Amino acid sequence: MRLPRFDYFGPDTLDAALELLATHKEEAKILAGGTDLLVRMKKGLLNPKVLISLKALNGLSYIKKDDEGIKIGARTPLADIISSDLIQIQATALSQACEKIGAVTLQHYRGTIGGNILQDNRCHHYNQSKFHRSGRQACHKEGGKICYARDESDRCNSTCQSDGATALMALGAKIILASAGHERTVDLENFYTTDGIMPFAMEPHELLKEIFIPFQGGQSAYHRLAFRSAIDYPIVCAGVLLTPSLTQKDEIEGARIVVGAMGRSPLFLAGESAGLKGKKFTDFAAFQTAADAAMNSAATFAVHNVGGTLEYRRAMVSPMVFRALKEAAQAADR
Amino acid sequence: MSDYTIIGKRMPRIDSRAKVMGKAKFTADLKLPGMLVGKIKRSPYAHARILNIDTSKAEALPGVKSVVTGKDTEGVKWGVFSYTRDQQFIQMEKVRYIGDEVAGVAAVDEETALEALDLIEVEYEELPAVFESMEALASQTEPIHEDFPNNINVHINIETGEVDENFKRAHYVREDTFVAPEDSYFMAEPYAVAARFDYDGCLEIWCPNGGPHMKSKPLSNAFKIPLHQVKVRKITIGGAFGGRSEICPADYICALLAKKADKPVKIEFTREENSIATRQGHAMITTHKTGVDKDGRVLARETTCYLDGGAYISTGPIAVSVPFLSMEQVYRMESVRYNGYSIYTNKPIRGMIRTHGRCFAAGLDTQLDMIAEHLGIDPVEMRLRNVRKPGEHTNTKSKVGSCAMDETIHKAVERSGFKDKWGKLPPFHGIGIGTNAVQVGFPMGIRGGSQSFIKFNEDGEATVMSGVVDNGQGNDNMLVQIAAEELGLLPEDIHLVSADTETTSSDPGSYSQVSTFVGGQAVQIAAANCRKKLFEVAAKVLKVKADTLAAKNRLIFVKDNPEKSIPIKKVVRISLTNFNSVNAEGGYWPKVDMKREWVSNPYGQMCEAFSFGTTIVEVKVDPDTGQVEVLNATACQDVGKALNPLVLEGQFEGAIAMGGQGGMLTEYHEWKDGRCLNPTMLDYKLPLACDMPNIDTIIVESIEPKGPYGAKEAGMSIAMSAAQGYSAAVSNAIGVYMDSFPLTPDKILAAIKEKKSRPQNKES
Ligand SMILES: Cc1cc2nc3c(=O)[nH]c(=O)nc-3n(C[C@H](O)[C@H](O)[C@H](O)COP(=O)(O)OP(=O)(O)OC[C@H]3O[C@@H](n4cnc5c(N)ncnc54)[C@H](O)[C@@H]3O)c2cc1C
Ligand code: SF4
Repeated sequence: MRLPRFDYFGPDTLDAALELLATHKEEAKILAGGTDLLVRMKKGLLNPKVLISLKALNGLSYIKKDDEGIKIGARTPLADIISSDLIQIQATALSQACEKIGAVTLQHYRGTIGGNILQDNRCHHYNQSKFHRSGRQACHKEGGKICYARDESDRCNSTCQSDGATALMALGAKIILASAGHERTVDLENFYTTDGIMPFAMEPHELLKEIFIPFQGGQSAYHRLAFRSAIDYPIVCAGVLLTPSLTQKDEIEGARIVVGAMGRSPLFLAGESAGLKGKKFTDFAAFQTAADAAMNSAATFAVHNVGGTLEYRRAMVSPMVFRALKEAAQAADR
Repeated sequence: MSDYTIIGKRMPRIDSRAKVMGKAKFTADLKLPGMLVGKIKRSPYAHARILNIDTSKAEALPGVKSVVTGKDTEGVKWGVFSYTRDQQFIQMEKVRYIGDEVAGVAAVDEETALEALDLIEVEYEELPAVFESMEALASQTEPIHEDFPNNINVHINIETGEVDENFKRAHYVREDTFVAPEDSYFMAEPYAVAARFDYDGCLEIWCPNGGPHMKSKPLSNAFKIPLHQVKVRKITIGGAFGGRSEICPADYICALLAKKADKPVKIEFTREENSIATRQGHAMITTHKTGVDKDGRVLARETTCYLDGGAYISTGPIAVSVPFLSMEQVYRMESVRYNGYSIYTNKPIRGMIRTHGRCFAAGLDTQLDMIAEHLGIDPVEMRLRNVRKPGEHTNTKSKVGSCAMDETIHKAVERSGFKDKWGKLPPFHGIGIGTNAVQVGFPMGIRGGSQSFIKFNEDGEATVMSGVVDNGQGNDNMLVQIAAEELGLLPEDIHLVSADTETTSSDPGSYSQVSTFVGGQAVQIAAANCRKKLFEVAAKVLKVKADTLAAKNRLIFVKDNPEKSIPIKKVVRISLTNFNSVNAEGGYWPKVDMKREWVSNPYGQMCEAFSFGTTIVEVKVDPDTGQVEVLNATACQDVGKALNPLVLEGQFEGAIAMGGQGGMLTEYHEWKDGRCLNPTMLDYKLPLACDMPNIDTIIVESIEPKGPYGAKEAGMSIAMSAAQGYSAAVSNAIGVYMDSFPLTPDKILAAIKEKKSRPQNKES
């Protein structure tokens, strides 16, 4: 498969990159590691006229901390995140999630955290060659009017399979989006649209600059399920964060349960999370109740479009959430 | 039997170095002067009539050098047998699956070729399509091929003994149905072909193949040119597993483009094309009905198997037979009735695959375990009572010579600790056994034998010519080892010219496990003939009788007085100066019943030897997710004689990966209206190295009198028994006999749930 033709820019300052984005807007795409973008381009799923590479933008690759939390530059390689003690201790779920992305080669060689969050949603009717997609009607995401994954659907139900985004949402992360002369901060959980055609609430001239993980004094964990031990996207995943009460150290003050690979975006399950407030860290029965409730809530979002049977993926939400909760609780209890 | 110098030794393969260093050249690496890029236009419809093909815009595109459609062909249809010719290499009237070939282009570069493909306008009239064999059987719509009203293209009926009578007198009878979808080979090398015509009108062609002579004949037929004008060249091949055996339409299209453009052309398949437009394994629905006596011995069996045969027959008659053959070779049955059907569907074409019949075989063993449980016999004893013994005949009348089936069971049982574990493991932890056998060859008519030539060079080194092809399994090394052993030379003194239809003789190809048995044996005989000539010359110089001599380490010496010797190089030089040839030839033709025929007469001596294998697998199942962790696999095979244990162990390990870990746990194709949803390496769940369990390999040597040094075949009966061992272990772990393969986590979890919901104390 061939890469279509494009113009290539390699700005070495953020301002220059934003300037280019402002000029070319939807005709341009940011190229970070390219492990998602170039694959899609080869399949003919998109054909940007301009690629703006972040290769020379070393200033966007960092892991820092201040009193408030951890700051990660969008172009930081996955390998750096995995080897960071800071992240392993303070944002365990993210470290665990990044370790599972693709394979070691992909993590070391190219993949970035920004690209991981912004990788496009996936669907086995869509992430196919041009030949595969010929001889049938175009689906919503290809500019057509139907969905092969859900009958009568008025929108695209492609699945967000980002490991990183699921973990980050559990950690309550915020993202900082920059454009020429402007910057805004968004809670990751508010960053998604309700249509898989364009899953992110983001403008074409915006660039993801930084990810911010606030310190909340809790423990996080991440679990995921795939068919193989590597080179396999998750078919279900769960990230959780449990924070202890300041007064009762063995009691949960706040919980964040996020289920991934089940919908158009990672799903923050506010109700199930709130249900854990006041529970003991050793209350596994409560975790099971929360996990089962999470399964019921998440199940409605999923369609059969990323392998495995739908029934199975739905059923697996519960063990993934339960395992993540148990692991986070045990870490907190220690 | 260990007075061999090179045979039986752990010798690293002669091709390993170039491969691990990335220096081996595969077809896709070839660059011929002036070479064009070829691409194939394929049907996007599963079943459609072609109304019109307009190539004018593509032809007008600058950089396009040739465009071909069915109109450019001689209209010759392909089929493995004279009675199965149902496939045009480029379709003109109808397309029958998504991926069927409708046109080809050759252009100066890939971008232009792809653009030209888009410019070819094909008008179709869509026809109703059928995607499952049962649906195809019952279909009232236009049949896929007009001469086959109910879409059945092959029916094989085999019946021996008093089946109905024996069911009546059986102590216990049960009938179970087992299903599995199609699987893929996933060779590491995607298909590629390069071709050119020379000034004499000869076609030179390079492509992965299971036997060069199997490619040259259909190409000569298709072009209507004499056989000698088709020169299939040797090239490194990255895996075949049965899937490179037949001619591929791309071979012909590539050559046709080259002819029309008068320039070399190369076509490289995408991974998707390799999945959908080469060959696949068959989806199967198999019903086994088995009747046993009080001791569990099989009195009668009736097996009915429906194979989803895809759009063209391909190896149909062989494919329908082989699962049955494995069964009758490994298990005794007092009587048996087999009805196997291959049914056309609008899915890609199917072929032979190393793990062909995984569902058939795993189902059979599952049922044996069920019967054993009913009778209170353990699985090992059940097999010992039913497996093949040396000297017996199979139901279809093949005499079985060497057979160490029992020994493979005993050794695998001992090494795996089966006796201590079976029935005693904690919940969701299981162990299972599978046994299988495979024929070493089958009657292949005019290409059933192999012939080899050996010539000496004046430096005392030898060139061996053989038609045997190496698909990656180590055949080249095997030939070199044999020649070196026989000639008394070192492996580095042997130079191989092989798998080239211009310079090497006819050979069965890497088919049905015959490369060593037939092709290797031909080299052994040729080399022994050479040695005889060398000894005659040496005897004169040493003034001894020729029969007192032996050869080793580049020397010919007197057996009883090794000091008295002469270098082989010197013998060669003396013979050359005295116009005395030491070159020789040799050939081997297996003694099989040439009247045996797949459909019309499936009885008679099939081949000269059978290999036997046992695989024992231990697993742990996660009851919450249904995921299987394989703790250990023990693979034990009667290989006849291990020519090179190092290569054999590699074959066993690969067989566990393909037949067990992939074939039984994760690998299968998913479809939507005839479109394959997981044709790529990311989506088709081939196991990775890190997914593989610990594997213990055990080699059993029964020394087959008819094989070279006693050898039979390497690894096939492991690939098959691995499928059975894996399924038995999972069933044992969860306490439910599984009947739908592969055993994906969703099915396992559903079975666990279903069992939990069953009323207590009922028989499982
Ligand atoms: C074989 C394989 C397996 C994989 N397995 C997994 C997996 O298990 N889990 C998983 O989560 N992912 C997986 N991926 C997807 C992908 O490799 C990773 O998500 C990776 O982290 C993407 O990072 P990248 O830098 O390569 O992204 P790119 O491909 O460079 O970018 C992805 C998208 O984000 C945009 N983008 C990137 N950076 C910015 C920025 N700073 N501002 C604005 N837009 C930006 C790009 O324009 C593009 O649209 C896999 C990919 C492959 C090929
Ligand atoms: S979910 Fe539906 S619309 Fe979206 S990519 Fe898949 S088939 Fe197309």
